[in-house]
Amino acid sequence: MVFPAKYPSLNATEMTEEARQTLIRVLRVAFPHESVPDGPYERTADTILTEAQNETWFRVALTQGLLSLNQMADGDFRTLDDESALKVLRRVEGTEFFGFVRRTAVLNLYDDADVWEALGYEGPSFEHGGYINRGFNDLDWLPDPRVEFPVGETMPEMAQGAAGVPRPVAEGHTTDSTNQPGATSSDMEEVKK
Amino acid sequence: MTSAPENGTPGKSVTSQSIDQDEDAVVIIGSGAGGGTLAYELTAKGIPVVVLEAGPYLTHDDYVNNEWESFNQMAWLDPRTTSGSWRVARDFPNLPAWIVKAVGGTTTHWSGATPRFKEHEFKTRSVYGRVDDANLLDWPIGLEDLAPYYDRAEKAMGSTHVHGRPPLPANNNYKVFANGAERAGYKFYATGPYATNAEEYDGRPASIQDGFNFQGDKNRSKWSILVREMPRAEATGLLDLRPDSQAVQITHDAEGRADAVLYLDKEGNLHRQAAKVVCVAANSIETPRLLLLSATPRFPDGLANSSGQVGRNYMRHLTGTVWGHFDKPVRMYRGETMAGLIGDESLHDPDRGFAGGYYLETISLGPAFMAAFVEPGAWGPDFTKLLDAYTNSAGMWIVGEDMPQESNRVTLNTTVKDVNGLPVPNVHYDDHPNDVAMREHAYTAGEKVYGAVGAQSTHRTPPYPSTHNLGTARMSERREDGVVDRWGRAHDVRNLFVSDGSAFTSGAAANPTLTIVALAIRQADYIAEELKAQRI
Ligand SMILES: Cc1cc2nc3c(=O)[nH]c(=O)nc-3n(C[C@H](O)[C@H](O)[C@H](O)COP(=O)(O)OP(=O)(O)OC[C@H]3O[C@@H](n4cnc5c(N)ncnc54)[C@H](O)[C@@H]3O)c2cc1C
Repeated sequence: MVFPAKYPSLNATEMTEEARQTLIRVLRVAFPHESVPDGPYERTADTILTEAQNETWFRVALTQGLLSLNQMADGDFRTLDDESALKVLRRVEGTEFFGFVRRTAVLNLYDDADVWEALGYEGPSFEHGGYINRGFNDLDWLPDPRVEFPVGETMPEMAQGAAGVPRPVAEGHTTDSTNQPGATSSDMEEVKK
Repeated sequence: MTSAPENGTPGKSVTSQSIDQDEDAVVIIGSGAGGGTLAYELTAKGIPVVVLEAGPYLTHDDYVNNEWESFNQMAWLDPRTTSGSWRVARDFPNLPAWIVKAVGGTTTHWSGATPRFKEHEFKTRSVYGRVDDANLLDWPIGLEDLAPYYDRAEKAMGSTHVHGRPPLPANNNYKVFANGAERAGYKFYATGPYATNAEEYDGRPASIQDGFNFQGDKNRSKWSILVREMPRAEATGLLDLRPDSQAVQITHDAEGRADAVLYLDKEGNLHRQAAKVVCVAANSIETPRLLLLSATPRFPDGLANSSGQVGRNYMRHLTGTVWGHFDKPVRMYRGETMAGLIGDESLHDPDRGFAGGYYLETISLGPAFMAAFVEPGAWGPDFTKLLDAYTNSAGMWIVGEDMPQESNRVTLNTTVKDVNGLPVPNVHYDDHPNDVAMREHAYTAGEKVYGAVGAQSTHRTPPYPSTHNLGTARMSERREDGVVDRWGRAHDVRNLFVSDGSAFTSGAAANPTLTIVALAIRQADYIAEELKAQRI
C-alpha cells in the first residue's frame, strides 16, 4: 500500500484470500444448489476475480462490496447462516457490486461440466453419436403420441365469428391511408352510446 | 467447399470465381436465408453474383456443442442499443436480437420450423380491420402468388410432413408436449413441418438427434444455406463470395440508380464494388441501417425512403416460453430442439380478445442458456429451483403475430459508434396491447398443456432477444405505404432489391424463414427475367 490509510480496509483495492472466500460464500448463498460441489463455485469466484482484475472500476466495486458485506454482518459474512446471509444479499441486490457478481456468475457457473452433471445435463453429444441410440425418446411415463396431423382434417384458419373476406368498403370512401387508417372497413370499432 | 479457406486476400473472393471490382455486378449483401437463396438461384440460372458477407466463413467442423462458445463464435455481437417498453430493452439492453454474423447467416443457428403463412395473413388490414396504433397493411401479393414458391422452398429445405418427406420421430420433449396437447383438447399437433431430415435426403443424412441444432448442427441433417445453397452456388463457378466484408453504403448515380456498394474488409480497408443490381439481405436490423447510412442529398432520409417507412414497422413475433416441471425425468435436451408444433391457436379468432394467432413449439435450452434466459436478473433459491428442475423440465416456445407499429423502429444512434466509427442501430419496441393480450393467452394455453400431463409447476419466461426480425423495409402496393413493391424492388430505386425478412408487410403467426426463402426464389426468377429483358 502506498499511502498509510486511516481505515486501511477502506483503501484496500487488492483481493485477499479472505475476500475470495467471502466471494465463494456469496455465490453459494445467491445460487444455492445442494447437488453442486465446491469446485464450480470456486472456479466462478476466480473468474469474477480475474474479470475484476482487468477493470479498475469493477475491482474497486468488488473489493468495497465484499468489505461492506462484513460490515453488514457485524463481523464476518462467512459466519452467517444461509438465511441471514441471504437477507444481507437482498439488501445489496441493487448495487453495482452485486449486479457484476450476479451477471458474471450466471454466465459462468452454469457453463461448467460439474454443474451440468449435478443438474442432469449430459453436455456435448455429437461426439457420442447424438442421442439417436442413447435415449432421445426413452421417456416412458406417457404413451407414445402421434407425430403427424390428424388424417383428413385441416387446421382451421379463421374462427366462425371472424370475417373471412374483406368487408365491403362504404361507398365513396377513398382507400385508407395506412398511416392513418380509416374506420370504414373495420369490425373493431369502439362502441359509444 | 468443405473447409473454409484460411488466407484469402481481405475483401476479395474466397471462391474460384472473382469478379472485377470495376465490373457492374449483381451484388448481394448478406448470405443468410434470403441472400444465400438468391445467390444460389441466380447462379443456377447462369447469372454471376458477388456476395458480401460481414461475417467469417465457418464450417460444420468449426461448430461446437457448447452454447456460449457457439454463440460467441457466430452471433452478431457488434454493439446495438435498445429503447422502448419491451422487456428485452431491460434484460439485454445491447442485444436486441440473436442473429448470426457468418456465411449462411442465421440459418446456421436456426432450428427448422417451417409453417406456411395462411391466406388471410397476407390481408391483415382487410381481415383484422382497424386496430388502433397498428400500421396494418395488406401485402401486395397473396398466398396464391407464393404457393408455388412455398413448394419449391419446402423441397429445397427438405421440410418434413410435406412432399413425401417423413415426419421426425417423437423425442422426449415432444412426448410431454403432444400428450399435454391431446389432453388439453388440441388436435393439430405434430413433429413438424421441420427442415431437418428424418431420413437421408438431398445429400444430407438423417438426424442423429444430438440436440445441438441451435449450435449449427455438425451432422448436416438440418437445412441451412451453408449445407445447401452455398456449395451449390459455388459449384456453378459463378459465385464470388467475400466473407468478412461488411457493406457500409450503397451509392447511386446522377439518375438515382444504385451504382456501387462500399464495404470494409476485416482489416478496415474500404472497397468499392461497382453494381448493376444491388440486393440487400442483411436481416431486418442491418438492412434498414444500411439504407439509412446511404442517405445523400438526393435521398436525404436514406436510400429508398421517400415513404419514411425504412426502419419502421419492426416486428419480432410476440414470443415467450413456458416451462413445465414434472416429478419424473423428461431430458428435453435430447433430440431435435423444435420438432414439435401445436397449430390449434394459429387461427384468427377475435373472440379470444386479439387479432391474429400463434403457434406453440417445443424448445429446449442447456443449463448455460437456461440460467441466462429463464428469468433474467433473478437469483436466489427461487431461481436455482428452476435449474434444479432441469432434468424433469419440458419446454415450449410461443410464436405469434405481433402488430406492425410505425413507432417500433430501427434508427441510427449517432451517439454510439461501432469499431468502424459508424453509428450503431437503435431498436425501439413497445408491445402493442394486441401483443400483450395474445402473449397472456398463449402463456395460459401453455400452462394448460403441461397441467394436463401433471406438471407440478410451470414457469413463464419473457421474450429472448429477437430471433425473428421483420418488416423494416416492407412491401406495399403504393409507394407511400412502404419501401418495396411486390417483387421486393425498391419503389424509389429501380435496381435496388430487398431480399430478406425486412420486406414482410406483416409477420403472420408462422416462423418466417420458409417465407423468406420462398420470396427469395420468386425474386430470383423476377430479377433473371428483368436482366434478360434488359429492364434493369
Ligand atoms: C436460435 C434461432 C432459432 C431459429 N429458429 C427458427 C425456426 O425454427 N424457424 C424459422 O422460420 N426461423 C427460425 N429462426 C430465424 C431465422 O434464422 C431467420 O428468420 C432467418 O435466418 C433470417 O434470414 P435473413 O436472410 O433475413 O437474415 P440472416 O439469415 O440473419 O442473414 C443476414 C446476413 O447478412 C449479414 N450482414 C448483415 N449486415 C451486413 C452488411 N452490412 N454487409 C454484409 N453482410 C451483412 C449477416 O452477417 C448475416 O450473415 C431462428 C433464429 C435463431 C437465432
